[in-house]
Amino acid sequence: MAMWREPFSYDYAPYQDRPKIEWPNGARIAFWVAPNIEFYELAPPKSPTRTVWYRPEPDIINYSMRDYGNRVGFHRMADVMARHGVRGSVSLNVAICEHFPDIIERCCELEWELFSHGVYNTRYLYNLSEDEQREVIRDCRDTIKRASGQNLDGWLSPAISNGETTQDLLAEEGIKYTLDLFHDDQPMPVKVRSSNRLVSVPYMMECNDVPVLNFKNKSPQTYLQIIKAHFDQLYEEGAESGTVMCVPLHPYLIGQPHRLAILDEALRYVTSHDGVWLATGREIAAWYEQNYYDRFAEWMKPFNAGVVQERGA
Amino acid sequence: MSQVSDDYFTYPNRGPGLDHTRYAHRYMRSLPRFEWPGGKRLFVWITVHIEHFPMDMPNKPFVPIGGMDRPYPSVWDFSTRDYGNRVGIFRLMKVLDRHGMRATAAMNSEVAARYPHLLAEILKRDWEVAASGVDMGKLHHGLQYRDAEQALVEQSFETLRRLSGQSVTGWHSPAHSQSQNTPDLVAAQGATYIADWLNDELPYEFATSAGPLTQLPLSYDLSDRKILFVQNAAIGDYEQQIEAAFKLLDAESAERGGRILSLSLSPWVIAQPSNIRTLDRLLARIASHEGVACATGGEIRDAWQALELKA
Repeated sequence: MAMWREPFSYDYAPYQDRPKIEWPNGARIAFWVAPNIEFYELAPPKSPTRTVWYRPEPDIINYSMRDYGNRVGFHRMADVMARHGVRGSVSLNVAICEHFPDIIERCCELEWELFSHGVYNTRYLYNLSEDEQREVIRDCRDTIKRASGQNLDGWLSPAISNGETTQDLLAEEGIKYTLDLFHDDQPMPVKVRSSNRLVSVPYMMECNDVPVLNFKNKSPQTYLQIIKAHFDQLYEEGAESGTVMCVPLHPYLIGQPHRLAILDEALRYVTSHDGVWLATGREIAAWYEQNYYDRFAEWMKPFNAGVVQERGA
Repeated sequence: MSQVSDDYFTYPNRGPGLDHTRYAHRYMRSLPRFEWPGGKRLFVWITVHIEHFPMDMPNKPFVPIGGMDRPYPSVWDFSTRDYGNRVGIFRLMKVLDRHGMRATAAMNSEVAARYPHLLAEILKRDWEVAASGVDMGKLHHGLQYRDAEQALVEQSFETLRRLSGQSVTGWHSPAHSQSQNTPDLVAAQGATYIADWLNDELPYEFATSAGPLTQLPLSYDLSDRKILFVQNAAIGDYEQQIEAAFKLLDAESAERGGRILSLSLSPWVIAQPSNIRTLDRLLARIASHEGVACATGGEIRDAWQALELKA
């Protein structure tokens, strides 16, 4: 089968002279924190595309490192966030609802949003048919509803394992916003095959503890500097048109004793500024959809005139 | 019985100079002392890589830096590179504008076709457009048929010349990768300089079947892509290395004559919110320094030719 040369999920929009986004109460930056609460299976079924574990199973070092997040890291991380009045928008492997209902209970007490990060982080969307993906989306929706009473509004593909038409399916299943696209520092309309609206909300890998600490092997101090500099720049630019900053976290990394102070200091720094909207993913998407989706879609048109957008190779 | 071939101990090129005829050996130190036009000692050459990484790019013969590292369809890899062409580049332009600096845009021709607005913003600033192949999925390499490569070279120059209106005389091979034929094919298209080889800090003459080219020094070890993306260094380490290079070249140019500081920038790397402020600070220090001027590749090449230096 021919591969797609691009995602065909968004049109071109230069970061220049954009319509001015104003966040609630005149805030210039929408700041949100996305804790990934994940369950990695010890012995998952094999994926045709990707080996799950790095060592022969049982890969106990990697499994237990992640399990730490659900035993130790989560509560510690949640305490720090609560202290700064920062709510989480949880990127949830929904099987957590069955494995550790106490975690969900605490998230609900803290008035955190729950959105879907698939069923398990060891069950990818790779190689799934559209119907199979729909089943996963519905499972996530039903599970989150049952466990928390919340509607499923947001989506981050498990292990970022999207398929070609995943964004179309999300829109068709009533999802409001996606985090699978890393093309912009502002929300954007997502192009899908139905007339349903899907918004992309920035979910920043540059500030995500897994890529920064685990893939790029940076120190906690460097991670803190990245978050502060990232914030400084987007805060400055937000005066022109409102920006979004996301700090994606994993309790198994940030919740460790030698790193927790980084989160404390980062949140102290951010919340010490005026004009910061401490938001959830759902709130950012809804505000954008109601006030700016149409304006952006219209404004973007001339930049894409005459450019062929047929899907496929 | 020997495990190596009969010619293993014959050394046909063992003698003075190099083992090929593309360029002559030259000690940079043997060049006479010279000044760049306007009495400048140090040219800062800013090269901004404007690239398109297709989501279906092949992983052969190698995955270039920034290629699709994750399983298809890697929207993650695709969109983080594309970020450079829609967000990063405009952040970078703002910084360069502020310091009055013009750059060479080493462009995949595909970007000019996909994003006409981006090309228009480059032209508006009077940046130089240099050809950098078609896209990052179409590498130039030694396992390629000459005809296939020729078509790529032609497509790149033809598209960029038509869309930019510039003469487009520079060439940078995607990912610094050339085949045995690339310089000949590029020269045949009317290019005057290439910027792929890493062996010098000043221009030198490079022989091709279509006449000589000038090879310009485009940094790789000092690029944001190498330091920040490959080596995963902290932005402070990048700053320190650029500072160190600037300091040394500034002093050397005062003592021994003209030098070039090449800044090789990728908007998807250096124009991340957490990195751009450091570049801004660095350029402020460099731009205000006595004896320093910013020049494009074409301008450096012309200035170099006019000097007619012999080592």
